[in-house]
Amino acid sequence: MKSNFKAFLSMKRESMQYNFAKAKRMKVCYLFLLPYAILFTTFFILPICTSIYYSFTQYNILEKPQLVGFQNYINLFLQDEVFLTAIKNTLVIAVITGPIGYILSFLFAWFINELPKWIRAVAVVVFYAPSIAGNVFYIFSIIFRGDVYGYLNSFLVEFGLVDSPILWLTDPNYMLTVIIIVILWMSMGTGFLSFVAGLQGVDRSMYEAGYVDGVRNRWQELWYITLPSMRPMLLFGAVMSITQAFNVCDVPRALAGYPSTDYAARTIVTHLFDYGFSRFEMGYASAIATVLFLVMILCNKAIQSMLRKVGS
Amino acid sequence: MMNQLNVQKPAKKSRGDILHEQMVRLGEIQPEKPPLNKMRFLIISLVVLAMLAALFIVCDYRFGVIEEYELTLEASGEIQEPAVIIEETAPEAEAGAETAAAEEESGAPKDAAFGGFYKLGKIIAIVAGIIYTAFAVIKLLAPKRRKPNRSIWGDIGIYIMLFIVAIAMVFPLVFSVGASLKPLDELFRFPPTVFPRQPTFDNFSDLFVTMSQSFVPFSRYLVNTVLITLIGTGGHVLIASMAAFVLSKYDFPGGKIFFSIVVTALMFSGYVTGIPNYVIMSKLNMIDTYWAIILPAFAAPIGLFLMKQFMEGLPMSLIEAAHLDGAGEFRVFWSIIMPNVKPAWLTIIIFSVQSLWNTNASTVIYSEAKKTLVYALQQIQAGGIARTGQAAAVTVIVMLVPITIFILSQSRILETMASSGLKD
Repeated sequence: MKSNFKAFLSMKRESMQYNFAKAKRMKVCYLFLLPYAILFTTFFILPICTSIYYSFTQYNILEKPQLVGFQNYINLFLQDEVFLTAIKNTLVIAVITGPIGYILSFLFAWFINELPKWIRAVAVVVFYAPSIAGNVFYIFSIIFRGDVYGYLNSFLVEFGLVDSPILWLTDPNYMLTVIIIVILWMSMGTGFLSFVAGLQGVDRSMYEAGYVDGVRNRWQELWYITLPSMRPMLLFGAVMSITQAFNVCDVPRALAGYPSTDYAARTIVTHLFDYGFSRFEMGYASAIATVLFLVMILCNKAIQSMLRKVGS
Repeated sequence: MMNQLNVQKPAKKSRGDILHEQMVRLGEIQPEKPPLNKMRFLIISLVVLAMLAALFIVCDYRFGVIEEYELTLEASGEIQEPAVIIEETAPEAEAGAETAAAEEESGAPKDAAFGGFYKLGKIIAIVAGIIYTAFAVIKLLAPKRRKPNRSIWGDIGIYIMLFIVAIAMVFPLVFSVGASLKPLDELFRFPPTVFPRQPTFDNFSDLFVTMSQSFVPFSRYLVNTVLITLIGTGGHVLIASMAAFVLSKYDFPGGKIFFSIVVTALMFSGYVTGIPNYVIMSKLNMIDTYWAIILPAFAAPIGLFLMKQFMEGLPMSLIEAAHLDGAGEFRVFWSIIMPNVKPAWLTIIIFSVQSLWNTNASTVIYSEAKKTLVYALQQIQAGGIARTGQAAAVTVIVMLVPITIFILSQSRILETMASSGLKD
């Protein structure tokens, strides 16, 4: 037992020495990486670490942070009812828009893929444009306006489907639905582009081989041939749609107001925004950020292991 | 086997065609129907479409007559609720009697009770027309032999669905553009129109008037944004490509771990890191300087990620050959690698420009003279009802820049995105 351990130690030491020697030989690599690494560490890694540290303190930017242990987390989960609403809303939005947006992006990329070349180019622009169009989603606040002059309401009243206009953006019953629709409208982003490009790269002879082997319709072809060869893009798209699904902030703030009625459209990020930039309780806001970050990483891991099973 | 077949038949046949013939010969699939007679098909299609059009016109005409009749009835106050007569077809005798009575009085059309049917006929004619047109277009334009595993009805369904969804996607955008061209009285018209009746550029010229009256000269905002975008994008491309080059081409200790951290960082949004970022920047004395926007943009993970994935596709032999010729590492990077990854450059330039163009950066920049264009435009937009027209113009300006860039560079972007996959 002991000798085993010793052997293990010496092996470790040897591999470390080897790595060190290798690192020394490849100095120039580190030189190339250095500028990016410094900036990346300063603006992406360090903030995450400090955020985790602040989450255990009470900090208002003016005074020095005071360590308070797990108090922020305890308050967050046991006392802050609005946070629980925020978690619920974020999960509802993420669970609906994440997978649906993801699947829709893939399906539309797949449908578009079979169009003739110039129509495909137009279609890609049409589907991708909403996600890069800045704040055009403000237009939805006119469509869903609460009085009869809102387009949807006037349509519904005209056709006698409702008696009085529905307060789409102020009634807690409808807010989330509207927000989800708008987010879905914007969901064909970078992941969608990746899918379109990836589908172009699938080897044509695979389809013919599949045809000989008895693949008989487009859905079988999708499952047995297209999806497995798209797996890398699917993983990338998953990362992108998780990011999008959990970081919902601008849309509810612009449409449902900030704060919204009964906090019905509050998400984790708007909650964070509230505590961080309106109330300056940085410690508490950092605790919220840490929770969000953990949830996202867990989600990503779960989805990656799920995607490995695709097509098998 | 494929090669042999190709040798035997040097005619211009795709591999798919050859395979198909082979399979027909072996009896594995049914031989295909004789090729489509295009002329005949076209004539039949025209006849079918003409019939549908005739149905539509007849229904539309009759429906119009009935509607007019109702309007006259309503106007003369003879019937309080005209809808009842039209929709109530169940008690036939009663309705018949009533219409007959009405007809006697004011010469109403005989079929007033069937207004609903005409409406239905119109809808059927339109839907059938669309489906049939799609069918005919696919039949006529499709190559002689269809791709395997694609049924024509499935294609039609998918195309129609794509068409409907595409309209839903574009509608808000088109509506915004339309709104920016409307004069003020049309902006508040109800029911609204998508396209302006009297298009004007007044909103844009008003916007320029407002801009020229602002506290800080407006060109200043523009210069700020352009400066930030240029420096941020340039530095980002250089720094990210340097890192991507070594990460993709050399296997050195720590490289893989670093890359996996970058991939995780793809998920960070600006909000999550916003607070500590502010603290760090204030420690570095960067608050209220352009660096607070530019330096984080240098290190954006998406650029490094796409660049690295694209560079993986370059052959290692290229670099080794350069090494043999005595080129140093930096020379290899600058004159071998960089010219070969132009599509990836362009892509990360575009992503970077998009994000920098849209920063309003109100949390890190305080002096008015250093604010960005988008911030200034948003202030104009927030001006309330009186600025509705200008707000619409602002929306269009902010929206058009990224979309135009994307349209111009689409093929390069897609080329890069093809290598964006994450290996597990």
